[in-house]
Amino acid sequence: MSGQARAAVRSGGDEVRERRPRERASLGERLAAWRDQHFYGLFSSLGRMVARPWASTLTILVLGFALALPLLFWLVYDNARTLSSGLREAREITLFLQPTLDEAAAAAFAQELRAHAGVEAVTLRTPEQGLAEFRALSGFGDALAALGENPLPSVLVVTPAAGSNPDAGGLLGALAADARVDLVQYDAVWRRKLSGILHLGARLVAVVSALLALATLLVIGNTVRMDIQARSAEISVMQTIGASNGFIRRPFLYAGFWYGALGGAVALLLVAVVELALAGPIQALAASHAGGFQAHGVGLRGALVLVGASSLIGWLGAWLVTTRHLLAGRPQ
Amino acid sequence: MIQFDNVTKRYQTGLDALSELSFAVAPGEVVFVTGHSGAGKSTLLKLVSLAERPTRGRISINGRELTRVRRGGIPQHRRGIGMVFQDHRLLTDRSVFDNVALPLLIAGTARSEIGKRVRAALDKVGLLSREKAAPVALSTGEQQRVGIARALVAKPPLILADEPTGNLDPQLSLEIMNLFVEFGAVGTTVLIATHDLLLLRHMRKRVLVLDHGRLVDDYRPEQT
Repeated sequence: MSGQARAAVRSGGDEVRERRPRERASLGERLAAWRDQHFYGLFSSLGRMVARPWASTLTILVLGFALALPLLFWLVYDNARTLSSGLREAREITLFLQPTLDEAAAAAFAQELRAHAGVEAVTLRTPEQGLAEFRALSGFGDALAALGENPLPSVLVVTPAAGSNPDAGGLLGALAADARVDLVQYDAVWRRKLSGILHLGARLVAVVSALLALATLLVIGNTVRMDIQARSAEISVMQTIGASNGFIRRPFLYAGFWYGALGGAVALLLVAVVELALAGPIQALAASHAGGFQAHGVGLRGALVLVGASSLIGWLGAWLVTTRHLLAGRPQ
Repeated sequence: MIQFDNVTKRYQTGLDALSELSFAVAPGEVVFVTGHSGAGKSTLLKLVSLAERPTRGRISINGRELTRVRRGGIPQHRRGIGMVFQDHRLLTDRSVFDNVALPLLIAGTARSEIGKRVRAALDKVGLLSREKAAPVALSTGEQQRVGIARALVAKPPLILADEPTGNLDPQLSLEIMNLFVEFGAVGTTVLIATHDLLLLRHMRKRVLVLDHGRLVDDYRPEQT
């Protein structure tokens, strides 16, 4: 505050004093006082934590680990979900034909299938095309060259008509029964399994998150409770000189908020370290995946949600224990 | 200012701490309450500050019936009372200034006003130069004066003091009591519980004498 401003405030204060002392302050003054009280709570609680760096750091680290765990679970789940969504769109049925079937017979079979009502398109992949593809992707080119002859069969990739269910329409059964077909590969079954696993994963993330949110609540509640016990004499003094429950509760609520927020920040840091440690292998894995899969991190929104939720949990934990203390403890 | 009508306080142990107590204190009066320990001095002060409720009878403070004050109104009621304790009950982790500022902070006084009034209060008890000190760095007498500054900083119409000189030597006790008498001179009602009879004789103020919870004497030196 500048000297001039301070002088102005001082003269304003003198006017206040000249009024009757019982008169209520103006709305602006009361708002300013309210804001001052909150700033006081915000920073005095932080100051108290800084005054006991060892204990505060330990608590915050414990919270950080507790919060990092569900976050990591969620990251794994969310990446798996993204990865699988590429697979889910694949509707093709892959037919591996009998190796004895030559290229002309395969083409005829493809033509035959195109006439089928449940089929939208059929693509033929000759053994030569398959070999070239395999060589490029697998890196077994030299081994294949040593083989001398091409061991791959002709492959038909059948795209079922949009909206149809090849499983129910009998197409799949008809294809499997055809003597020219060696193996039918249809991803629906596998996809159902995957979606079941993902569903389980989502539930697991939710359960682990709920448990560890509860743990966070308890850790913060217990820390604030010990803080309250250490300051019970101070609280009773405040009560005897007319502090309202809200006034007494406020610094503890802010302490809970700080524990939650800082614990959340530590959790983000831990997750970032884990991401960094896993970045190399994930990169390699993603590069080998044809779908152009890109692993993603927590992101700004995820980080905000985590810190917001942990701050809220801290606030709530502190509220519960202070309310209990204020209800149980009667002032002297 | 203070009106007790047939007030009885019975604790759950069955002990009657106060029985059938009636008296009135005018605004600006300085009144001592004395008696043996357990006579009910502290209970009387607790009833005024609403730390206890009477079993029977009516108490009104500043024209306000205390039975009408609900639990939620107790903090507001206490803000109108400055409290001084035998062990002064300062917050040891805060400076002298912050201790004295506490009632103003609680009452939501503007920050610019707080500094001014805290210094005025410290000046009154002669400790203006020690505002940045920690309470533990002060002598017992100084600590008690900080407690008094805290009690008067919000300019309450009533000050309650429970054995404020219990831990002080006679010279310091006299200084402290004279401070209270000064407040009376500017219109603040002061109620002081003490068992220091020598000091009482010296002060020449009204004295309520309690014995086993009963008012046995209401001594007014001015009238004799």
